[in-house]
Amino acid sequence: MEKTFSYNDIMHRYGRIFTIFGMTVMLIVPTLIMVITGVAPDWNKVIIGVAMLSIIYLPGGIVEMATYSPILGTSATYLAFITGNLVNLKIPCVMNARAIVKTEIGTPENEVVSTLSVVASTLTTVGIMSMGIILLIPLRPILSAEVLQPAFNWVVSALFGALGYKYFKGNLKIVAVPLLLMVVLAFIMPGFVIGNITIVIMVGAIISVLISKLLYDKKLI
Amino acid sequence: MNTLLISLATVSDIKESWWMYTIGIFVTLFIIGGALFFGMHAYRQAKKLEMDRETLKKTVISSISFSILPSIGIFIGVITMAGLLGIPLPWIRLSVLGALHYELMALSFASEGITLTSMTIENFITIAFVMTIAIMWGSLFTLIFFKKYQQKVISKATANGGKGFGKILFDAFFIGMISAYIGDAVAKMMDYQVRVIENGAYLLDINGDYVMVDRSTVVPILVMASAMSAMAFFEWLITKKKVKWLENFALSFSMLFAMTVAVLLGIGGIY
Repeated sequence: MEKTFSYNDIMHRYGRIFTIFGMTVMLIVPTLIMVITGVAPDWNKVIIGVAMLSIIYLPGGIVEMATYSPILGTSATYLAFITGNLVNLKIPCVMNARAIVKTEIGTPENEVVSTLSVVASTLTTVGIMSMGIILLIPLRPILSAEVLQPAFNWVVSALFGALGYKYFKGNLKIVAVPLLLMVVLAFIMPGFVIGNITIVIMVGAIISVLISKLLYDKKLI
Repeated sequence: MNTLLISLATVSDIKESWWMYTIGIFVTLFIIGGALFFGMHAYRQAKKLEMDRETLKKTVISSISFSILPSIGIFIGVITMAGLLGIPLPWIRLSVLGALHYELMALSFASEGITLTSMTIENFITIAFVMTIAIMWGSLFTLIFFKKYQQKVISKATANGGKGFGKILFDAFFIGMISAYIGDAVAKMMDYQVRVIENGAYLLDINGDYVMVDRSTVVPILVMASAMSAMAFFEWLITKKKVKWLENFALSFSMLFAMTVAVLLGIGGIY
């Protein structure tokens, strides 16, 4: 009997192919520069640089895949893990779209919504980057103007502030403990919080999930 | 002949060469193609599920409006790094799996002691390789483990179509994430250190350590509070005053308001 594949199975297959293509495209870039110029990199420096960065980004890669993929769903995970900017763009973008159209994570409708959201977000970024490159000469002095720098320095604060209202409003019982703990941690170890935001996000998320589980079991939410 | 000409070129010619821009266009087309491919499949699936057009339209419009400001921020990252690396390489790096803080860190590891004037073609290629390879872990884990992880772990957590605790789980996770960013903003009110950026790269001292400056700022917490207040106002307009069209733009407008507050604080001397 012929095996039938679900939409999810098919998207996993396409997603894996896309990831292989994506990683190849990424590696082709420096390789092409090497081939065209006929100059090899300093391999010792490459190995040391990659090893040092991997101390942070290897565990980071596992944590990101484990934590963000459930929010993104199948297709959006593959697309977002090639196009990047997960924490500062794709994840909040999907959460926002989900909240507006009111779908629940794990449903087929949410898979569609999160995919379309990441697609729209990706195309917007590509469009703005391309426009920026084309209009670089007139745009460069504007975008690098000293007076505008605070706006873009704190764009992530603006993003999480706006989303904060949306998510905190309906979940006040869950919010109190993780928020208080994060603020206390910030007062006690500001350097650690600023320098290790990925770890701090994980700690905040675990505390928040544990509190909500406790409240759920006690039928308080 | 062509290779010879290129090998005689300076690093400045190479980092802004027509073929570097061509590679950038190729990468951009790959990303557009991939996004449209997944978008087309999602759209077909939406039709099968008989989802209404309004839901899909809302998803796309809200996601586009949401992504504009952070995308401008990402493009500013290209300009930040352009001083040392030219435009095409930062453009390519921030188009595929890039993030400014990562690229700057990769740049400082790979370009130790290199300045704009002392950079060689070998340095440039070394930087390009380091930036590319070390960020690939997330994609690699997704390629190898995601399907199994989804089957074994995620499907259990989200069983029953989002009913029960699964429904709360991801909201709780996201609340933890937002709390962490509030913690980050509070921490910045205290004394903290930032790495100095010069010519589009983190500056290193003679010992190879980052050059740091002490700072403290109330701006991020004020920006967050402004964004929250603006969002509350827009939500009030949407729910009480029935300004329905605002639904897709409330978040972008709140961000724009908060970013304007940051600019005004800057003009007032508060950074």
